[in-house]
Amino acid sequence: MSGTERAIAFRLNGEAVSADAPVRMHAADFLRHRLGWTGTHVGCEQGVCGMCTILVDGAAIKSCLMLAVQLDGAEVTTVEALAEGDRLNAAQESFKRHHALQCGYCTPGFLMLAESLKASGRTLSRAEVREELVGVLCRCTGYENILRAVEEYLNADEPEASR
Amino acid sequence: MKSADFAYHRPGDIAEAVRHLQDYDGGARVLAGGQSLMPMMNMRLWRPDAVVDINGLTDLAELTAEGDETRIGALVRYSTLEFSPLVAERLPLLKAMVAFVGDRQVRNRGTIGGSLVQGDPTGEMPLGCLVLGATVSVLGPSGAHTIAMEDLYEGAYTATLAPDEVLTEVRVPPHPPHFAFRECCRRHNDFCVLSVAATGRMADDGRWRGLRIGLGGVNDTPVLAEASMALLEGSRLDDADIAAAGGAALRAIDPPDDIRGSAEYRAHLVPIYVARVLRDLRASAQAAAR
Ligand SMILES: Cc1cc2nc3c(=O)[nH]c(=O)nc-3n(C[C@H](O)[C@H](O)[C@H](O)COP(=O)(O)OP(=O)(O)OC[C@H]3O[C@@H](n4cnc5c(N)ncnc54)[C@H](O)[C@@H]3O)c2cc1C
Ligand code: FES
Ligand code: FES
Repeated sequence: MSGTERAIAFRLNGEAVSADAPVRMHAADFLRHRLGWTGTHVGCEQGVCGMCTILVDGAAIKSCLMLAVQLDGAEVTTVEALAEGDRLNAAQESFKRHHALQCGYCTPGFLMLAESLKASGRTLSRAEVREELVGVLCRCTGYENILRAVEEYLNADEPEASR
Repeated sequence: MKSADFAYHRPGDIAEAVRHLQDYDGGARVLAGGQSLMPMMNMRLWRPDAVVDINGLTDLAELTAEGDETRIGALVRYSTLEFSPLVAERLPLLKAMVAFVGDRQVRNRGTIGGSLVQGDPTGEMPLGCLVLGATVSVLGPSGAHTIAMEDLYEGAYTATLAPDEVLTEVRVPPHPPHFAFRECCRRHNDFCVLSVAATGRMADDGRWRGLRIGLGGVNDTPVLAEASMALLEGSRLDDADIAAAGGAALRAIDPPDDIRGSAEYRAHLVPIYVARVLRDLRASAQAAAR
Protein backbone atom coordinates (compact mmCIF):
# COMPACT_ATOMS: atom_id res chain seq x y z
CA MET A 1 0.00 0.00 0.00
CA SER A 2 1.37 3.41 -0.93
CA GLY A 3 0.83 6.65 0.89
CA THR A 4 1.75 8.34 4.12
CA GLU A 5 2.75 6.21 7.12
CA ARG A 6 3.23 7.17 10.72
CA ALA A 7 4.89 5.40 13.64
CA ILE A 8 2.55 4.49 16.49
CA ALA A 9 2.91 2.75 19.85
CA PHE A 10 0.10 1.37 21.98
CA ARG A 11 -0.82 -1.60 24.19
CA LEU A 12 -2.71 -4.48 22.60
CA ASN A 13 -4.17 -7.05 24.97
CA GLY A 14 -1.60 -6.11 27.59
CA GLU A 15 1.45 -6.15 25.33
CA ALA A 16 3.36 -3.19 23.93
CA VAL A 17 3.14 -2.78 20.15
CA SER A 18 5.15 -0.38 17.98
CA ALA A 19 4.55 -0.25 14.26
CA ASP A 20 4.16 1.97 11.24
CA ALA A 21 0.59 2.58 10.21
CA PRO A 22 -0.57 3.97 6.86
CA VAL A 23 -2.60 7.03 7.87
CA ARG A 24 -5.51 6.09 5.63
CA MET A 25 -5.86 2.60 7.16
CA HIS A 26 -8.64 2.03 9.69
CA ALA A 27 -7.86 0.33 12.97
CA ALA A 28 -9.63 -2.95 12.12
CA ASP A 29 -7.57 -3.48 8.97
CA PHE A 30 -4.43 -2.56 10.86
CA LEU A 31 -5.08 -5.13 13.60
CA ARG A 32 -5.88 -7.80 11.04
CA HIS A 33 -3.52 -7.17 8.15
CA ARG A 34 -0.53 -5.50 9.76
CA LEU A 35 -0.51 -7.24 13.14
CA GLY A 36 -2.20 -10.52 12.18
CA TRP A 37 -4.82 -10.41 14.95
CA THR A 38 -7.81 -11.58 12.92
CA GLY A 39 -10.28 -12.07 15.77
CA THR A 40 -11.71 -8.63 15.06
CA HIS A 41 -13.99 -9.03 12.05
CA VAL A 42 -14.90 -6.61 9.29
CA GLY A 43 -18.31 -6.35 7.65
CA CYS A 44 -19.52 -3.05 6.27
CA GLU A 45 -16.69 -0.58 6.92
CA GLN A 46 -19.28 2.13 7.39
CA GLY A 47 -20.14 1.81 11.06
CA VAL A 48 -23.38 -0.13 10.70
CA CYS A 49 -22.74 -3.81 11.41
CA GLY A 50 -20.57 -3.71 14.56
CA MET A 51 -18.43 -6.72 13.54
CA CYS A 52 -15.29 -4.67 14.20
CA THR A 53 -16.17 -3.70 17.80
CA ILE A 54 -13.12 -3.55 20.09
CA LEU A 55 -12.30 -1.77 23.34
CA VAL A 56 -10.15 1.36 23.22
CA ASP A 57 -9.30 2.66 26.69
CA GLY A 58 -12.16 0.51 27.96
CA ALA A 59 -14.85 1.92 25.66
CA ALA A 60 -16.52 -0.27 23.01
CA ILE A 61 -16.00 1.37 19.62
CA LYS A 62 -16.25 0.38 15.96
CA SER A 63 -12.68 0.01 14.78
CA CYS A 64 -13.55 0.61 11.10
CA LEU A 65 -14.48 4.18 12.14
CA MET A 66 -11.18 4.84 13.84
CA LEU A 67 -7.87 5.37 12.08
CA ALA A 68 -5.02 3.05 13.05
CA VAL A 69 -2.92 6.13 13.86
CA GLN A 70 -5.52 7.09 16.46
CA LEU A 71 -4.61 3.99 18.46
CA ASP A 72 -1.32 5.69 19.36
CA GLY A 73 -1.00 5.75 23.15
CA ALA A 74 -4.19 3.76 23.74
CA GLU A 75 -4.98 0.59 25.65
CA VAL A 76 -6.62 -1.72 23.11
CA THR A 77 -8.48 -4.94 23.86
CA THR A 78 -9.68 -7.41 21.24
CA VAL A 79 -11.48 -10.73 21.47
CA GLU A 80 -8.12 -12.54 21.59
CA ALA A 81 -7.68 -11.25 25.15
CA LEU A 82 -10.60 -13.24 26.52
CA ALA A 83 -9.63 -16.93 26.54
CA GLU A 84 -6.61 -18.17 28.45
CA GLY A 85 -5.12 -20.75 26.14
CA ASP A 86 -7.95 -23.17 25.45
CA ARG A 87 -9.91 -22.06 28.48
CA LEU A 88 -12.82 -19.83 27.49
CA ASN A 89 -13.64 -16.92 29.72
CA ALA A 90 -17.02 -16.60 31.45
CA ALA A 91 -18.57 -14.58 28.62
CA GLN A 92 -17.49 -17.12 26.02
CA GLU A 93 -18.71 -20.00 28.21
CA SER A 94 -22.05 -18.29 28.53
CA PHE A 95 -22.31 -17.88 24.74
CA LYS A 96 -21.52 -21.57 24.33
CA ARG A 97 -24.03 -22.66 26.96
CA HIS A 98 -26.82 -20.57 25.45
CA HIS A 99 -26.08 -21.43 21.79
CA ALA A 100 -25.55 -17.73 21.22
CA LEU A 101 -23.72 -18.26 17.95
CA GLN A 102 -24.18 -20.14 14.72
CA CYS A 103 -21.67 -19.00 12.08
CA GLY A 104 -19.84 -16.98 14.74
CA TYR A 105 -19.01 -14.04 12.51
CA CYS A 106 -20.69 -11.55 14.85
CA THR A 107 -19.49 -13.18 18.08
CA PRO A 108 -16.32 -11.12 18.67
CA GLY A 109 -18.37 -7.93 18.40
CA PHE A 110 -20.96 -9.11 20.91
CA LEU A 111 -18.31 -10.43 23.28
CA MET A 112 -16.50 -7.12 23.33
CA LEU A 113 -19.74 -5.25 24.00
CA ALA A 114 -20.47 -7.72 26.79
CA GLU A 115 -17.01 -7.13 28.28
CA SER A 116 -17.47 -3.36 28.28
CA LEU A 117 -20.88 -3.70 29.93
CA LYS A 118 -19.49 -6.01 32.60
CA ALA A 119 -16.64 -3.59 33.32
CA SER A 120 -19.05 -0.65 33.57
CA GLY A 121 -20.58 -2.24 36.67
CA ARG A 122 -24.04 -0.96 35.68
CA THR A 123 -27.04 -3.04 36.73
CA LEU A 124 -29.21 -3.45 33.67
CA SER A 125 -32.71 -4.73 33.08
CA ARG A 126 -33.30 -7.12 30.18
CA ALA A 127 -34.69 -4.24 28.13
CA GLU A 128 -31.57 -2.21 28.83
CA VAL A 129 -29.27 -5.07 27.86
CA ARG A 130 -31.21 -5.43 24.62
CA GLU A 131 -30.75 -1.71 24.01
CA GLU A 132 -27.01 -1.91 24.71
CA LEU A 133 -26.59 -4.66 22.10
CA VAL A 134 -28.22 -2.94 19.11
CA GLY A 135 -24.88 -1.90 17.66
CA VAL A 136 -23.90 -5.40 16.54
CA LEU A 137 -25.93 -7.24 13.92
CA CYS A 138 -26.39 -11.01 13.73
CA ARG A 139 -27.81 -12.68 10.62
CA CYS A 140 -28.10 -16.17 12.14
CA THR A 141 -29.37 -16.42 15.69
CA GLY A 142 -32.34 -14.09 15.98
CA TYR A 143 -30.62 -12.46 18.99
CA GLU A 144 -32.63 -14.14 21.75
CA ASN A 145 -29.84 -16.51 22.79
CA ILE A 146 -27.26 -13.76 22.59
CA LEU A 147 -29.39 -11.69 24.91
CA ARG A 148 -29.67 -14.60 27.36
CA ALA A 149 -25.95 -15.27 27.24
CA VAL A 150 -24.99 -11.65 27.86
CA GLU A 151 -27.58 -11.28 30.59
CA GLU A 152 -26.31 -14.36 32.41
CA TYR A 153 -22.73 -13.17 32.09
CA LEU A 154 -23.60 -9.75 33.49
CA ASN A 155 -25.58 -11.18 36.38
CA ALA A 156 -22.98 -13.77 37.43
CA ASP A 157 -21.07 -12.12 40.24
CA GLU A 158 -18.31 -14.66 40.76
CA PRO A 159 -15.06 -13.48 39.19
CA GLU A 160 -14.16 -15.60 36.20
CA ALA A 161 -10.82 -16.73 37.66
CA SER A 162 -12.52 -18.58 40.55
CA ARG A 163 -14.41 -20.99 38.34
CA MET B 1 -14.20 0.18 0.89
CA LYS B 2 -11.05 1.94 1.98
CA SER B 3 -10.38 5.63 2.31
CA ALA B 4 -8.23 7.43 -0.24
CA ASP B 5 -4.91 8.74 1.07
CA PHE B 6 -4.66 12.00 2.97
CA ALA B 7 -2.24 13.91 5.18
CA TYR B 8 -2.86 13.43 8.90
CA HIS B 9 -2.35 16.09 11.54
CA ARG B 10 -2.89 15.82 15.26
CA PRO B 11 -2.52 19.37 16.60
CA GLY B 12 -1.63 19.99 20.24
CA ASP B 13 -3.69 23.17 20.53
CA ILE B 14 -6.61 24.77 18.81
CA ALA B 15 -4.62 27.55 17.13
CA GLU B 16 -2.50 24.88 15.47
CA ALA B 17 -5.66 23.09 14.33
CA VAL B 18 -6.89 26.28 12.67
CA ARG B 19 -3.50 26.80 11.01
CA HIS B 20 -3.58 23.32 9.51
CA LEU B 21 -7.11 23.89 8.21
CA GLN B 22 -5.99 27.18 6.67
CA ASP B 23 -2.97 25.57 5.00
CA TYR B 24 -5.18 23.29 2.92
CA ASP B 25 -7.43 26.07 1.69
CA GLY B 26 -10.69 24.21 2.13
CA GLY B 27 -9.22 20.75 1.42
CA ALA B 28 -8.89 19.64 5.05
CA ARG B 29 -11.53 18.22 7.40
CA VAL B 30 -11.69 18.20 11.16
CA LEU B 31 -11.84 14.66 12.59
CA ALA B 32 -13.78 14.51 15.87
CA GLY B 33 -15.63 11.26 16.71
CA GLY B 34 -15.40 10.07 13.11
CA GLN B 35 -18.92 8.62 13.22
CA SER B 36 -19.92 10.54 10.09
CA LEU B 37 -16.57 11.49 8.60
CA MET B 38 -15.06 7.97 8.62
CA PRO B 39 -18.00 6.27 6.83
CA MET B 40 -17.95 9.06 4.22
CA MET B 41 -14.20 8.60 3.68
CA ASN B 42 -14.38 4.79 3.69
CA MET B 43 -17.08 4.98 1.01
CA ARG B 44 -14.97 7.55 -0.87
CA LEU B 45 -17.84 9.98 -0.91
CA TRP B 46 -15.37 12.41 0.65
CA ARG B 47 -11.65 12.52 -0.20
CA PRO B 48 -10.13 15.28 1.90
CA ASP B 49 -6.50 16.26 1.23
CA ALA B 50 -5.91 16.31 4.96
CA VAL B 51 -7.52 15.27 8.21
CA VAL B 52 -7.01 17.40 11.31
CA ASP B 53 -7.62 15.14 14.30
CA ILE B 54 -8.82 17.25 17.25
CA ASN B 55 -9.10 14.35 19.71
CA GLY B 56 -5.96 15.53 21.53
CA LEU B 57 -7.50 18.92 22.36
CA THR B 58 -8.68 18.10 25.87
CA ASP B 59 -9.76 21.73 26.49
CA LEU B 60 -12.59 21.06 24.07
CA ALA B 61 -13.85 18.08 26.11
CA GLU B 62 -15.02 20.06 29.13
CA LEU B 63 -18.55 20.28 30.43
CA THR B 64 -19.12 23.13 32.87
CA ALA B 65 -21.83 25.15 34.60
CA GLU B 66 -21.24 28.90 34.48
CA GLY B 67 -23.98 30.73 36.30
CA ASP B 68 -27.20 30.03 34.43
CA GLU B 69 -25.38 28.83 31.35
CA THR B 70 -24.16 25.33 30.64
CA ARG B 71 -21.11 25.06 28.41
CA ILE B 72 -20.47 21.92 26.45
CA GLY B 73 -17.08 21.59 24.74
CA ALA B 74 -17.24 20.52 21.09
CA LEU B 75 -15.41 17.28 21.88
CA VAL B 76 -17.83 16.15 24.61
CA ARG B 77 -19.01 12.71 23.53
CA TYR B 78 -22.59 11.51 23.46
CA SER B 79 -21.86 8.96 26.21
CA THR B 80 -20.61 11.76 28.48
CA LEU B 81 -23.87 13.67 27.96
CA GLU B 82 -25.77 10.44 28.58
CA PHE B 83 -24.23 9.75 31.99
CA SER B 84 -23.27 13.21 33.26
CA PRO B 85 -25.09 14.27 36.47
CA LEU B 86 -24.63 17.91 35.37
CA VAL B 87 -26.52 17.25 32.13
CA ALA B 88 -29.21 15.26 33.96
CA GLU B 89 -29.79 18.16 36.30
CA ARG B 90 -29.38 21.13 33.98
CA LEU B 91 -30.22 19.83 30.49
CA PRO B 92 -32.71 16.98 30.91
CA LEU B 93 -34.03 17.42 27.34
CA LEU B 94 -30.57 16.72 25.89
CA LYS B 95 -30.16 13.73 28.18
CA ALA B 96 -33.48 12.33 26.98
CA MET B 97 -32.61 12.94 23.33
CA VAL B 98 -29.07 11.58 23.34
CA ALA B 99 -30.36 8.10 24.18
CA PHE B 100 -31.90 8.04 20.69
CA VAL B 101 -28.59 8.62 18.91
CA GLY B 102 -27.05 5.59 17.20
CA ASP B 103 -25.88 2.72 19.36
CA ARG B 104 -23.50 2.26 22.28
CA GLN B 105 -20.35 2.33 20.13
CA VAL B 106 -21.50 5.42 18.19
CA ARG B 107 -22.30 7.20 21.47
CA ASN B 108 -18.90 6.29 22.93
CA ARG B 109 -17.16 8.11 20.07
CA GLY B 110 -19.46 10.71 18.48
CA THR B 111 -19.23 14.30 19.75
CA ILE B 112 -21.72 17.12 20.09
CA GLY B 113 -19.54 19.41 17.95
CA GLY B 114 -19.33 16.83 15.18
CA SER B 115 -23.06 16.29 15.28
CA LEU B 116 -23.80 20.02 15.03
CA VAL B 117 -21.35 20.58 12.17
CA GLN B 118 -22.54 17.46 10.35
CA GLY B 119 -26.04 18.98 10.45
CA ASP B 120 -28.06 15.88 9.69
CA PRO B 121 -31.67 17.13 9.28
CA THR B 122 -32.81 14.27 11.53
CA GLY B 123 -30.03 14.69 14.10
CA GLU B 124 -31.07 14.76 17.74
CA MET B 125 -28.40 17.21 18.95
CA PRO B 126 -29.09 19.90 16.33
CA LEU B 127 -32.80 19.77 17.23
CA GLY B 128 -32.23 19.73 20.99
CA CYS B 129 -29.78 22.64 20.84
CA LEU B 130 -32.16 24.64 18.63
CA VAL B 131 -35.12 24.17 20.98
CA LEU B 132 -32.98 25.06 24.00
CA GLY B 133 -31.88 28.29 22.28
CA ALA B 134 -28.17 27.42 22.32
CA THR B 135 -25.38 29.30 20.59
CA VAL B 136 -22.13 27.81 19.34
CA SER B 137 -18.66 29.34 19.61
CA VAL B 138 -16.44 29.15 16.57
CA LEU B 139 -12.73 29.87 16.16
CA GLY B 140 -11.11 30.68 12.83
CA PRO B 141 -8.11 32.54 11.41
CA SER B 142 -9.79 35.91 12.05
CA GLY B 143 -10.70 35.08 15.65
CA ALA B 144 -13.65 33.81 17.63
CA HIS B 145 -17.35 34.46 17.10
CA THR B 146 -20.66 32.95 18.06
CA ILE B 147 -23.54 31.66 15.95
CA ALA B 148 -27.08 31.14 17.24
CA MET B 149 -28.48 27.66 16.49
CA GLU B 150 -31.20 29.35 14.38
CA ASP B 151 -28.46 30.61 12.05
CA LEU B 152 -26.13 27.59 12.02
CA TYR B 153 -27.45 25.95 8.86
CA GLU B 154 -27.99 27.04 5.29
CA GLY B 155 -29.28 23.64 4.22
CA ALA B 156 -29.15 19.94 4.90
CA TYR B 157 -25.69 18.86 6.10
CA THR B 158 -24.48 22.42 5.60
CA ALA B 159 -23.36 24.36 8.64
CA THR B 160 -22.36 27.97 8.01
CA LEU B 161 -18.81 27.43 9.31
CA ALA B 162 -15.94 28.26 6.96
CA PRO B 163 -13.71 25.27 6.13
CA ASP B 164 -10.93 26.72 8.29
CA GLU B 165 -13.12 27.25 11.35
CA VAL B 166 -13.49 24.96 14.35
CA LEU B 167 -16.59 24.75 16.50
CA THR B 168 -15.25 25.00 20.04
CA GLU B 169 -18.23 24.92 22.38
CA VAL B 170 -21.99 24.96 22.74
CA ARG B 171 -23.50 27.40 25.21
CA VAL B 172 -26.93 26.55 26.51
CA PRO B 173 -29.08 29.07 28.40
CA PRO B 174 -31.26 28.00 31.38
CA HIS B 175 -33.48 25.03 30.60
CA PRO B 176 -37.25 25.59 31.04
CA PRO B 177 -38.84 23.40 33.75
CA HIS B 178 -40.88 21.21 31.41
CA PHE B 179 -39.87 19.33 28.30
CA ALA B 180 -40.99 16.46 26.10
CA PHE B 181 -39.49 14.56 23.18
CA ARG B 182 -40.65 11.88 20.75
CA GLU B 183 -39.38 10.51 17.50
CA CYS B 184 -40.67 8.15 14.87
CA CYS B 185 -38.11 5.64 13.71
CA ARG B 186 -38.45 2.72 11.28
CA ARG B 187 -35.59 0.79 12.79
CA HIS B 188 -34.61 1.18 16.41
CA ASN B 189 -31.71 3.66 16.78
CA ASP B 190 -31.58 4.49 13.08
CA PHE B 191 -31.87 8.05 11.84
CA CYS B 192 -35.47 9.06 12.49
CA VAL B 193 -38.35 9.75 10.09
CA LEU B 194 -39.28 12.75 12.19
CA SER B 195 -38.77 14.06 15.69
CA VAL B 196 -40.46 16.64 17.90
CA ALA B 197 -39.05 18.35 20.99
CA ALA B 198 -40.79 20.93 23.16
CA THR B 199 -39.98 22.97 26.26
CA GLY B 200 -41.95 25.49 28.30
CA ARG B 201 -43.05 26.84 31.62
CA MET B 202 -46.53 26.70 33.12
CA ALA B 203 -47.07 29.86 35.18
CA ASP B 204 -48.98 29.89 38.51
CA ASP B 205 -52.16 30.91 36.66
CA GLY B 206 -51.98 27.65 34.69
CA ARG B 207 -51.04 29.39 31.46
CA TRP B 208 -48.00 28.43 29.38
CA ARG B 209 -45.21 30.87 28.68
CA GLY B 210 -42.23 30.73 26.34
CA LEU B 211 -43.26 27.43 24.84
CA ARG B 212 -40.88 26.23 22.11
CA ILE B 213 -41.50 23.42 19.67
CA GLY B 214 -38.84 22.09 17.31
CA LEU B 215 -39.24 19.64 14.43
CA GLY B 216 -36.55 17.36 13.01
CA GLY B 217 -36.54 15.40 9.74
CA VAL B 218 -39.27 17.45 8.07
CA ASN B 219 -37.17 20.15 6.48
CA ASP B 220 -33.59 20.66 5.26
CA THR B 221 -32.69 21.66 8.80
CA PRO B 222 -34.31 21.34 12.21
CA VAL B 223 -36.94 24.10 12.47
CA LEU B 224 -39.03 25.82 15.12
CA ALA B 225 -42.80 25.52 14.66
CA GLU B 226 -43.20 29.26 15.13
CA ALA B 227 -46.89 29.49 14.20
CA SER B 228 -47.71 26.80 16.76
CA MET B 229 -45.57 28.51 19.39
CA ALA B 230 -47.39 31.82 18.84
CA LEU B 231 -50.79 30.11 19.11
CA LEU B 232 -49.88 28.51 22.42
CA GLU B 233 -48.37 31.54 24.14
CA GLY B 234 -50.50 32.18 27.24
CA SER B 235 -52.79 29.22 26.54
CA ARG B 236 -53.71 26.48 29.02
CA LEU B 237 -52.65 23.81 26.56
CA ASP B 238 -56.13 22.30 26.51
CA ASP B 239 -57.14 19.77 23.87
CA ALA B 240 -58.38 22.41 21.43
CA ASP B 241 -55.13 24.42 21.76
CA ILE B 242 -53.12 21.30 21.13
CA ALA B 243 -55.11 20.31 18.05
CA ALA B 244 -54.74 23.82 16.61
CA ALA B 245 -50.99 23.84 17.30
CA GLY B 246 -50.59 20.43 15.63
CA GLY B 247 -52.20 21.75 12.45
CA ALA B 248 -50.23 25.01 12.53
CA ALA B 249 -46.95 23.05 12.68
CA LEU B 250 -47.50 22.13 9.02
CA ARG B 251 -46.60 25.72 8.11
CA ALA B 252 -43.01 25.13 9.21
CA ILE B 253 -42.35 22.03 7.14
CA ASP B 254 -41.09 21.18 3.66
CA PRO B 255 -40.51 17.49 4.14
CA PRO B 256 -38.22 15.33 2.01
CA ASP B 257 -39.14 12.11 0.19
CA ASP B 258 -36.49 9.58 1.04
CA ILE B 259 -35.79 5.96 1.90
CA ARG B 260 -37.22 6.40 5.42
CA GLY B 261 -40.55 7.91 4.41
CA SER B 262 -42.42 9.93 1.79
CA ALA B 263 -43.07 13.64 2.16
CA GLU B 264 -46.77 12.86 2.39
CA TYR B 265 -46.24 10.40 5.23
CA ARG B 266 -44.10 12.88 7.12
CA ALA B 267 -46.74 15.61 6.69
CA HIS B 268 -49.34 13.14 7.97
CA LEU B 269 -47.26 12.43 11.07
CA VAL B 270 -46.39 16.01 12.02
CA PRO B 271 -49.71 17.08 13.64
CA ILE B 272 -49.96 13.69 15.36
CA TYR B 273 -46.47 13.85 16.88
CA VAL B 274 -46.74 17.53 17.81
CA ALA B 275 -50.01 16.80 19.63
CA ARG B 276 -48.50 13.81 21.45
CA VAL B 277 -45.50 15.81 22.59
CA LEU B 278 -47.71 18.67 23.78
CA ARG B 279 -49.85 16.23 25.75
CA ASP B 280 -46.65 14.82 27.30
CA LEU B 281 -45.59 18.36 28.19
CA ARG B 282 -48.94 19.11 29.81
CA ALA B 283 -48.87 15.83 31.73
CA SER B 284 -45.37 16.50 33.06
CA ALA B 285 -46.47 19.91 34.36
CA GLN B 286 -49.59 18.43 35.94
CA ALA B 287 -47.53 15.70 37.60
CA ALA B 288 -45.09 18.30 38.95
CA ALA B 289 -47.96 20.43 40.29
CA ARG B 290 -49.36 17.57 42.36
C1 LIG C 1 -24.48 3.42 12.94
C2 LIG C 1 -24.66 4.90 13.11
C3 LIG C 1 -25.87 5.38 13.59
C4 LIG C 1 -26.05 6.75 13.77
N1 LIG C 1 -27.24 7.18 14.25
C5 LIG C 1 -27.43 8.49 14.47
C6 LIG C 1 -28.66 8.98 15.01
O1 LIG C 1 -29.57 8.22 15.32
N2 LIG C 1 -28.78 10.32 15.20
C7 LIG C 1 -27.77 11.20 14.89
O2 LIG C 1 -27.92 12.40 15.10
N3 LIG C 1 -26.60 10.78 14.38
C8 LIG C 1 -26.40 9.45 14.15
N4 LIG C 1 -25.20 9.02 13.64
C9 LIG C 1 -24.16 10.02 13.26
C10 LIG C 1 -23.38 10.41 14.51
O3 LIG C 1 -24.21 11.14 15.36
C11 LIG C 1 -22.10 11.21 14.27
O4 LIG C 1 -21.33 11.01 15.41
C12 LIG C 1 -22.20 12.69 14.19
O5 LIG C 1 -23.05 12.97 13.12
C13 LIG C 1 -20.83 13.31 13.93
O6 LIG C 1 -20.09 13.56 15.12
P1 LIG C 1 -18.56 13.08 15.19
O7 LIG C 1 -17.99 13.65 16.42
O8 LIG C 1 -18.51 11.63 15.02
O9 LIG C 1 -17.95 13.89 13.96
P2 LIG C 1 -17.05 13.47 12.72
O10 LIG C 1 -17.61 12.31 12.01
O11 LIG C 1 -15.64 13.40 13.16
O12 LIG C 1 -17.24 14.78 11.85
C14 LIG C 1 -18.46 15.08 11.19
C15 LIG C 1 -18.31 16.38 10.40
O13 LIG C 1 -18.16 17.49 11.28
C16 LIG C 1 -16.90 18.12 11.12
N5 LIG C 1 -16.46 18.46 12.49
C17 LIG C 1 -16.45 17.63 13.56
N6 LIG C 1 -16.12 18.30 14.68
C18 LIG C 1 -15.91 19.58 14.31
C19 LIG C 1 -15.56 20.77 15.03
N7 LIG C 1 -15.38 20.76 16.36
N8 LIG C 1 -15.41 21.92 14.32
C20 LIG C 1 -15.60 21.95 12.97
N9 LIG C 1 -15.95 20.85 12.25
C21 LIG C 1 -16.11 19.70 12.91
C22 LIG C 1 -16.04 17.12 10.38
O14 LIG C 1 -15.03 17.76 9.64
C23 LIG C 1 -17.07 16.42 9.52
O15 LIG C 1 -17.35 17.20 8.39
C24 LIG C 1 -24.99 7.65 13.46
C25 LIG C 1 -23.76 7.18 12.99
C26 LIG C 1 -23.59 5.80 12.82
C27 LIG C 1 -22.27 5.31 12.33
S1 FES D 1 -17.15 -3.25 9.82
FE1 FES D 1 -17.14 -1.74 11.36
S2 FES D 1 -19.23 -1.48 11.75
FE2 FES D 1 -19.27 -2.83 10.06
S1 FES E 1 -23.91 -16.13 14.42
FE1 FES E 1 -23.82 -15.76 12.29
S2 FES E 1 -23.98 -13.60 12.21
FE2 FES E 1 -24.31 -14.02 14.29
